[in-house]
Amino acid sequence: MQSQTVSDPEVTSQAPTVRPILEARSLSKSYGETHALSELDLSVAPGDIYCLLGPNGAGKTTTINLFLGFIAPTSGQALVADLDVAEHDRETKAYLAYIPEQVMLYRNLTGLENLEYFAALAGKKLEVDQLRSTLVEAGLQSEAIDRRVSGYSKGMRQKVGIAIALAKEATALLLDEPTSGLDPKASNEFSALLEGLRERGVAVLMATHDLFRAKETGTRVGIMRHGRLVAEMSTSELGHSDLERIYLNHMRE
Amino acid sequence: MTIRTVFRNEMRLLAADRVLLSSLVLFVALFAYAIANGFAWVAKQEGTVAAVQAAEEERGAALAAELERIAAGGDPGSPFRDPRAANVLGGNLGARTVVLGPGPLASLSVGQSDLLPYYYDVSIYTNEQTFLQNGEVENPLNLMVGRFDLAFIIIYLLPLLVLALSYNVLSGEREQGTLALTLSQPVAVRDVVVAKLLFRALLVVGLALGGSLVGAAVWGGLGAPVRLALWCGAVVTYGLFWFGTAAWVNTLGRESSWNATVLVGAWLGLVVVLPAVGNIAAGILHPLPSRVEMINTAREASNESVNRRSELLARYLEDHPEMAGGVVDDVAGTAALSWAATEEVNRQVEGVAVRFDEQLSKQQALVSRYRLVSPALLAQSVLNDAAGSGDARFAHFEAQVRTFAEEWRGYFVPAILAGQVMTAEAAMGRPEFVYSEEELSVVLGRSAMPLAMLLTLALLAVVPAAIRLGRVRGGG
Amino acid sequence: MIIRIARKELTDQLRDGRFRASALMVGALLLVSLGAGWTQVSSARAQLEAAEATARNHWESQGDKNPHSAAHYGVYAFKPRLPLSFVDQGVDPWTGTSVWLEAHRQNDFLMRPAQDASAAQRFGTLTAAGVLQQLVPLLIILLGFGALAGERERGTLRQVLASGVSRRDLMAGKAAGVAGALALLVVPAALLGSAALVLGSTATGSLLARAVVLAVVYLTYFGAFIGLALAISAWVPSSRTALVTLLSLWVVNGLVAPRAAVDLSGWLHPSPTAFEFSRQIEEGMANGVEGIRPPDRQAITNRLLQEYGVDSVEDLPVNLSGITLQASEEFGNAVYDHNYTELWDTFERQSRVHESLAVVAPLLAVRALSMGLAGTDIEQHRHFATAAETYRRDMMAAMNGDLAQNSRTGETYLAGDELWVSVPPLDYEAPTLAWVLGNRTVSMLMLGLWLLGALSAAVAGARRAEVGP
Repeated sequence: MQSQTVSDPEVTSQAPTVRPILEARSLSKSYGETHALSELDLSVAPGDIYCLLGPNGAGKTTTINLFLGFIAPTSGQALVADLDVAEHDRETKAYLAYIPEQVMLYRNLTGLENLEYFAALAGKKLEVDQLRSTLVEAGLQSEAIDRRVSGYSKGMRQKVGIAIALAKEATALLLDEPTSGLDPKASNEFSALLEGLRERGVAVLMATHDLFRAKETGTRVGIMRHGRLVAEMSTSELGHSDLERIYLNHMRE
Repeated sequence: MTIRTVFRNEMRLLAADRVLLSSLVLFVALFAYAIANGFAWVAKQEGTVAAVQAAEEERGAALAAELERIAAGGDPGSPFRDPRAANVLGGNLGARTVVLGPGPLASLSVGQSDLLPYYYDVSIYTNEQTFLQNGEVENPLNLMVGRFDLAFIIIYLLPLLVLALSYNVLSGEREQGTLALTLSQPVAVRDVVVAKLLFRALLVVGLALGGSLVGAAVWGGLGAPVRLALWCGAVVTYGLFWFGTAAWVNTLGRESSWNATVLVGAWLGLVVVLPAVGNIAAGILHPLPSRVEMINTAREASNESVNRRSELLARYLEDHPEMAGGVVDDVAGTAALSWAATEEVNRQVEGVAVRFDEQLSKQQALVSRYRLVSPALLAQSVLNDAAGSGDARFAHFEAQVRTFAEEWRGYFVPAILAGQVMTAEAAMGRPEFVYSEEELSVVLGRSAMPLAMLLTLALLAVVPAAIRLGRVRGGG
Repeated sequence: MIIRIARKELTDQLRDGRFRASALMVGALLLVSLGAGWTQVSSARAQLEAAEATARNHWESQGDKNPHSAAHYGVYAFKPRLPLSFVDQGVDPWTGTSVWLEAHRQNDFLMRPAQDASAAQRFGTLTAAGVLQQLVPLLIILLGFGALAGERERGTLRQVLASGVSRRDLMAGKAAGVAGALALLVVPAALLGSAALVLGSTATGSLLARAVVLAVVYLTYFGAFIGLALAISAWVPSSRTALVTLLSLWVVNGLVAPRAAVDLSGWLHPSPTAFEFSRQIEEGMANGVEGIRPPDRQAITNRLLQEYGVDSVEDLPVNLSGITLQASEEFGNAVYDHNYTELWDTFERQSRVHESLAVVAPLLAVRALSMGLAGTDIEQHRHFATAAETYRRDMMAAMNGDLAQNSRTGETYLAGDELWVSVPPLDYEAPTLAWVLGNRTVSMLMLGLWLLGALSAAVAGARRAEVGP
């Protein structure tokens, strides 16, 4: 059994110092003969921004779906705050916030109403003032708050997604390619928001294609291919173009 | 050029689309079911007609035998059973049952034939009451729901098939992105869309026409080619309306789901809701005259006649001076008196009934204008008429029965009043009813208006669709 | 939580232009149909009351007559319309409205309103029942087809489930949301209908009970449809498939299955043709039925002579004609009972087939219950027909009895107004709610099964629904 082969001698994995919030133990998912994810071991602790890199079909989204309990693992465990997701589907979600590539909201409701609804679903009853300030904190222009979401740009919807995470006081954030399709300014704002969350001790797991942003924003990086985590490293140890070189190396085999 | 290319492509697309293919198969099954149903219904009616005619012949034979027996010196037993008495012969023993056979294309449309009476007993006692009878014995619940015949499929379900096949004929191409590709070729969008629609129309209308021909053929309907042509004309025009509507909606440039919603809404409105609203509006704005009131009025009229019974004979003889000499002996006098009273009652009741019928036909004329709101109503009236199961054919039959009853009375009443003994020849020579089918020109004439209206509605959809199609440029 | 979800669903729906437009349309149709039904029933009831009074007057003021002549003269009975029939006219237009009660014959109900109307009436008339049975389900489909499938396609389902809400709560909230949107439409109409019922007629307890059960029946039906729409929305892959599936079910439910039931019922329980039926009655009259023979006038005469110990009929203290007429009346009753019972039973067996087909189309169950509660089903037509026939028989017995007791054989005898007045008018009492529901056990069972089945399918669907891409 091959496990977490760190074939790159230049990079050493940095073990988390505090108890992880997100943890995968030999996590596997296969559909018939297709192995979407094989024997993944991974942990993300508070204050970590862990970026999963890899081509389409490498298993990034599968990993996120397994943490969310949307699919059941074939073997292994996905743990959120030491709870097995497969057994504690609803309890674990109290810790999680999820922001997909496209944050999809109810088009006929306003940003405020959407936030209020999703916060309520998560069991958080907030006053209108609190909801507003959360949206503003997430970076939404205050004049957009009472407009229907059908007129929002992708970036605006993403901010509502962040606001939902903030309102929920989630301790772990699952992001699935959040910056693809955002213009550079919006991407920068987004990174700043993530940094803010990280400082508050939120654990972030982010699937992305954006090597540059992974290097800039992330604290740790994992490279996936064919359902396996093939490399893991800390961004502080990387030089400017190291990441791209390592990534391409892994893709070449 | 393009038509063949498009047809071949469409055929390939259709063969690949399992949903569409299975809905076509489903429709073929529905057609087969409806044809079997129509067949069973006509068979039942034909069976009844045969039974009625057999009973009629039996009665004629019994009458002939009785006359022969009496001629040989036999005793009729009672004056009420003596076939030589004109009032007995014309009233009971010699009475005729007249019957209307199923229409020429009855296997295609049950229409009103499960509701309206199609046979009557005609005797000298035939009067307005006779025509107030029920038709076939049928569960009212079944009458309310209606039958699963070919006309039902064509009116209700066929439009749904049309819409399912063509709601995205243009919008789908745009959404798939194939429209831009097509537009980059040296062909007109209109030609492509028309060819696509034509292909579907041939499929759907062809299915309907094929089903109709088979349905007609199983019960000798091919012997009525003009009616069959009228039927087919209605089917084609109705199909054209729905294809035209689908094409027009497609040219509005909205997405497929919007088209589907609008077209299903149109179907619901035109086929289900509007006819129902029209019926309720007709019922309230032009209420049917009250049958209940008619009964009581007729009753009052006849009470009065009965009370004035004695005056009546005198008056009758005044009206018919040629009879005065004939009323001789006592028995004949009683019969004559009784007849005079009957006649007066009939006349009074008829007065009430005629007023009622006038009101009724006025109401129906008003209501028939409501047909214009819905192509389904227009199609139904043409289809029923073509099949010979519409209201008009039954009215035509009833009118002939009335004339025949008139003739019948003319044959017997003078003899009753004159106290004449009916000879065996006179008995066997009593009037016979021969139904003469409606003239085709009458049927066609009656259907011309609704068919023209249907065509107009179809064109109202087709023409703007064609114009707008000519303007389609970009891939929107 | 469920309420919170329902509130959001409601807001969402109310902001949707398509829903607003169609709800307005259906609401308008519902109000129009209630109003129109009310107008028609009121005027029909007024007409009937007037006609009954006139008919009774004809009977009472027929002057001096032999009782048997009076029996031949007879009376007309008119089928009453229950106040609730403004919601559902049921088979009323297709049954006759009046019957002539005369000597010797059990007549058919004549003058079906449908016979006077044109073929256009085959499309049905707008009634509240039609709107509730056909159009409201369509609205439910519109509200519910995207409930899960749509959220899955838009991606909001992932967002919602990531929030930690339980799937069952989500489904329940959606159901409550649809129900709430529907309530905005149905509740005012129901209130209006009840107000009309209470203010506009002598609302008896039994009538109100019928109205309440009617409301429950429709709510169950709507509940089943909500469950069905949500279940299918959860089970099928896309909202388009959900819509197409639901619309197909709607067509089967409202158009195909009811007509298929007509054919199936006729095939399983064929009714005689009118010709056969009258033949059977003639045949029974000639040769007797069920071992009952036509009365023998001579035997009756002999029995009477012996009983009273006299030698000739003129010496009898009773009128022989009265006795023999009654005997032949009773024989005729047996023949009619035999044939009509068979016919009515056939019709009822046919309705049972319609009800059983509710297995594929809940409309058939709700329609049967609705007609039953409105008092416009076949069973209640039969109930009235039987009451009218019983009344006819009592009346004939009274006429023949008077003739037999108050006159001698062969003498000319005229009775007067006292006799006519002594026959009470037909006082018909509609059957009880329990009687109506007793006829409808199949439908109640079917409707209950649909509700349970649809709701459990929805719950199961929610549990297993894919979250989507």
